[in-house]
Amino acid sequence: MLQFDHVSKSYPGGFVALDRINFRIAKGEMVFLTGHSGAGKSTILKLISMIERPSTGRVMINNIDLSRLKRSQVPYVRRDVGIIYQNHRLLMNHTVFDNVALPLVIEGFTGKEMVKRVHAALDKVGLLDKQRCLPQTLSGGEQQRVGIARAVVNKPPLLLADEPTGNLDPELSRDIMRVFEAFNQVGVSVLVATHDLGLIARMRYRTLTLKQGRMINDGLMPVQEPL
Amino acid sequence: MSILFSGRASGAKANKINFIRRFVMFFVNHLRQALFSLGELWRTPGSSLMTMAVLGLSLTLPTTLHLLVKNVQQVSGGFAKAAEISLFIRDSATSQQVQGLKTILEGDPQIAAVRHISKDAAMQEFQQASGFGAALNYLTENPLPDVLVVLPLHTEPAAARALQQQLEKERIVEFAKLDLEWLQRLDAVVLLLQQAVVAIGLLLLSAVLLIVSNTIRLSIISKREEIEVMKLVGATDAFIQRPFLYTGFWFGVFGGLLAFLVTEVLLWWLRGAIAGISDLYQSDFRLQAMSLQEFGGLILLAVLLGVIGSYLSVRRHLRAIEPS
Repeated sequence: MLQFDHVSKSYPGGFVALDRINFRIAKGEMVFLTGHSGAGKSTILKLISMIERPSTGRVMINNIDLSRLKRSQVPYVRRDVGIIYQNHRLLMNHTVFDNVALPLVIEGFTGKEMVKRVHAALDKVGLLDKQRCLPQTLSGGEQQRVGIARAVVNKPPLLLADEPTGNLDPELSRDIMRVFEAFNQVGVSVLVATHDLGLIARMRYRTLTLKQGRMINDGLMPVQEPL
Repeated sequence: MSILFSGRASGAKANKINFIRRFVMFFVNHLRQALFSLGELWRTPGSSLMTMAVLGLSLTLPTTLHLLVKNVQQVSGGFAKAAEISLFIRDSATSQQVQGLKTILEGDPQIAAVRHISKDAAMQEFQQASGFGAALNYLTENPLPDVLVVLPLHTEPAAARALQQQLEKERIVEFAKLDLEWLQRLDAVVLLLQQAVVAIGLLLLSAVLLIVSNTIRLSIISKREEIEVMKLVGATDAFIQRPFLYTGFWFGVFGGLLAFLVTEVLLWWLRGAIAGISDLYQSDFRLQAMSLQEFGGLILLAVLLGVIGSYLSVRRHLRAIEPS
């Protein structure tokens, strides 16, 4: 479903963030993406969400080359990809409910259908009782879960997560990973970028490892090795 | 509509909401957006009121000037009769000849009305108005001629002058007098005034445009993060710009209303003074207020300026904000 075809990304000044990356993710697959900070994890996610465009090569979703899409089509691509950000990116002066409802409002949902879906998403991440709170009043883990609820509320077929367990303790990290697994089990493709190697080792999923913009490993992580 | 996943319907279509309901919801949504923007303004009363006040006062000046020109035109319109042509009849003409000419002229399609002022009537009027009173009784005979006052159908200078020349050729007419020059001067002054109003108006309207556009720019910058988030979850530019356009709309509505109120207060304040002057001139001139159409036009113009100003800003600045 998701395919990177000789994708390179270099920035003005000569810094090469990605160097000829190739990989495919099948429908309904759950994959980890790892590497040191600066190895290019975020760049890959930005290319998929069309925040950045590749310098060379093609990023394809369902055999549609993203670089061929027009600027005006970018919002529609983003509606098909649920993204969870490391710094949550919530609207701080709106309630949890409003935050989660935002993608639905954008798509034109109203009334009961919208409320039903928001409640379902909040229920999945266990925050139904906090829907009237402002994000500031929530803990880091709770804010992260609001971000997850917002990413899944319109049931996207592809879910991306950028360091979703960044600042969380192991217990919370495991909870959040379970949420991802639950989505994966209903057929959603999931790509999780993380540098939490312990977590990856426990979960036993296919792992893409990046080092200085190159793909150095694709498959199950061998037993812990220094990157 | 999903570009990437052909089987994935989304939004209203996925809910199988019928067309009529979607059509109604379109307006309901816009109304909701409009009210939401109004609420946003309410939450920041200080800066919103400032912007509306600047708008209102900037619109007050052109509005007042417009009313001024309108009233001057009303006054000068009363001088249309000044295009009257006075035909001074030769002494030798008999009253039958004068009556005959009057009848002929009344039948002329170029002429609206003909009035006969006989020698005697003219003398009486002169006695009353001039203040020579008794002195005139010493005259042995009436030196004043019969006069036919002709009101042309077309009072424009050129047409009136042509008619004057034509009437002067009548045999019993000594000469025809058309006093146009001062009317032309007045017209020129009114025209100058009108053009000055247009120029000042245009300047102030562009100021309004810039003010709105700058206010919206600041509002966009202060919401930068929110806009980035909306773009990240798939909001189109049209969706993001809508609340800003409605903010501009409300600026226009309230600015226009304020301009109307201030103008009314100004008129009310001037009314007393003007009544005093027109009493002194024994004129029944009364200051004309804004008509309903003019009020509608003012509000429409203000709203248009608000929305256009906002649109200019939104176009430039929303594109520049991209998530990173």
